[in-house]
Amino acid sequence: MNVRELLTEMKDTSEVIVDLAYASLMYNSDSMAEKVHDLEDDMDNLKFAIRYKVLMSCRTKEDARQLSGLLQVASAADRISDAAADIVDLLDVPLEKRPFVPAMLYESDEKIRATKIKSDSGMVGYTIGELAVEACTGCKIIALKGRQGGIYDPEDDVKIRAGDDIIVRGTEEGYNHLTEYASGKIPWDFPEESDEEPEEAEDEAENLEDDIGDDDE
Amino acid sequence: MNRLEVMLLELKDTSEFMVDLAYSSLLYNNKEIAEEVIFLSDTLDDLSTKIQDTAIELGQSKSDEVAKIAVVIRLQTSIMYIAEAAKSIADVVLRGLGEHPVLAMSIKESETTIALGKVSDDSVLVGKTFGDVSLSTISGMFVIAIKRDRTYIFGPGRGTVIQAGDVMIAKGPEEGVAYFKDLCDGTEKEL
Repeated sequence: MNVRELLTEMKDTSEVIVDLAYASLMYNSDSMAEKVHDLEDDMDNLKFAIRYKVLMSCRTKEDARQLSGLLQVASAADRISDAAADIVDLLDVPLEKRPFVPAMLYESDEKIRATKIKSDSGMVGYTIGELAVEACTGCKIIALKGRQGGIYDPEDDVKIRAGDDIIVRGTEEGYNHLTEYASGKIPWDFPEESDEEPEEAEDEAENLEDDIGDDDE
Repeated sequence: MNRLEVMLLELKDTSEFMVDLAYSSLLYNNKEIAEEVIFLSDTLDDLSTKIQDTAIELGQSKSDEVAKIAVVIRLQTSIMYIAEAAKSIADVVLRGLGEHPVLAMSIKESETTIALGKVSDDSVLVGKTFGDVSLSTISGMFVIAIKRDRTYIFGPGRGTVIQAGDVMIAKGPEEGVAYFKDLCDGTEKEL
């Protein structure tokens, strides 16, 4: 992986690891906590890999100045994953001593919720990517349970099966919508193929970024 | 929820919002967004102190709550690590080290990307609140900030009215970006 890919991976991990950490406390899940620790180990390896690549690529003083910022971001992503690992270590505290934690987390702005895929759900047999679950419901699937050991932070090519318990992160309203799909109450609404010219979109994006960038002050 | 739990939850929600804002500030190399992260970090420092004081008071009056207090303090500490990590990302922007193209690219390419939508006069969103349109449910894109004229609205609520000319900063999956942008610029009329 190059530096860009390493940093993308670190950013992605820093986000999903926090969701998984809170979800493990909500559902009292040791296997999810284990995944958090695995991701934290991955993050350590990514951190060393990115440091090495960045230091190798430094040629000038200006390189060093700019890349020091990049390394600070990488190290921040790593610190987030360390915090997530500390959060799941709370599972070692006996359950009766932390009854308020799941109830409190249930009220978060970003909801973590679970639902079951019924056999007559329109989602069965399709992959997460084909369904574009997050774009269609605002809910991101962070785990699928009920399979051997469960699948955490699933890739887009994971197929939804009847009987899966899915754990998602999103809004309450999006979750309510998703449960209707998952239960088979309403059929899945497949997104239309976008026929937009990608090049045009790119241009627009650049104009807009001038709006948000600091240069217009 | 009691007062302690309400404060702890606010700490948690704000820390996550700070991470979103921090990555946005990096993507657009934007100092105003980075400043907001620093501001939120200061408010969380105060909130942390309040949580600790309240926890200590509780421990003095009810000794059987000590185990709960230990859990609260451990959570508070971990959450503050996350908030501080967000602050150190914003710090990169404020130091003027945010212009390296790899930084912006790495965020654009990530699973949860960040995109901008400028609301045009003929957009269906104009005059509606976030509660009315449920943007995040229909597009997967969650609006974290709005630039309106020269100022920012951070973390718009369900009651916030969308206006023509707003530039919305949203996070979500790549598949949701095109629909979100089309809704904003008026190309897509169907909600």
